[in-house]
Amino acid sequence: MKLMDKLAKRLREDAANINVSVSDELDRRIEASLLAVSPEMAEQRPVTPVKPALFWWASTVTGIAAAVVVIAIMNWRAPGQPVADVPLNIVAAVPAIDLKAEAAVLTNPLQEELDNLESDLKKAEEKVRRDIGL
Amino acid sequence: MLRFLLTRCASYADAEDVLQDTLIAAFRYLHSYDARWRFSTWLYRIAIRNAAKLRGPDLLEVGELRDEENDPLLQCMADSESENLWLNARQLLNDDVFAAMWLRYAEDMSVNDISKALDRSASWTKVNLMRGRRTLESNLSDVPEQSEAYG
Repeated sequence: MKLMDKLAKRLREDAANINVSVSDELDRRIEASLLAVSPEMAEQRPVTPVKPALFWWASTVTGIAAAVVVIAIMNWRAPGQPVADVPLNIVAAVPAIDLKAEAAVLTNPLQEELDNLESDLKKAEEKVRRDIGL
Repeated sequence: MLRFLLTRCASYADAEDVLQDTLIAAFRYLHSYDARWRFSTWLYRIAIRNAAKLRGPDLLEVGELRDEENDPLLQCMADSESENLWLNARQLLNDDVFAAMWLRYAEDMSVNDISKALDRSASWTKVNLMRGRRTLESNLSDVPEQSEAYG
């Protein structure tokens, strides 16, 4: 047998060899004491009233509605406020006109240029009349 | 438990009083019992506290209070023929180590239960159980000193 087992066995035996008995008088004392006291109940934690789910939803909806109203008011455009000028691209808005014009030769005399322009204008006028059947 | 209390109290009457107080306290505060531990662990914890309370705030060791003639443990061993090892243990070990040894070998408690009962850490319990065993082993006259049979 191992030494530790021997020691443990000896300790167990010696503990059992201690002659002790609970006397009748002690037994009665303990019994009377136990009858005199009552076990304490576990402390009840304060119960917080549970709010219905409807309250939670109502408060949530109210909060969201208030936030929407505030955002709408902050972004509402005042009637007298001038409209911001939007730069328009006029060139892009107007359709392009295909003009058949010859470049002026600025080296020729002005009268000759004017005659040429009048001649071109008459030709164009005649062409238009023919096209429209007049 | 009365046996154990006899080793920690100065008189038989004190041990009986502590036993009575322990049972009353256990009955009164039964709702605070944690079922994770053995019931005896909880009971011993209360008993150890009550015994310490009876000794007063000076925290004298049990041996300092004991009167050899009225020693309750000696009285209970008067009829025994052989020497009781617990008497040696009480002389050689301090109160907490003695209690740990008692709970381990007389009550078969686990290290965790002993730790809980004594309000000590598991490592403290293991170390002091080992020290207690070595002290008692060296005290045993029929055990060779050089033996190394520990686990």
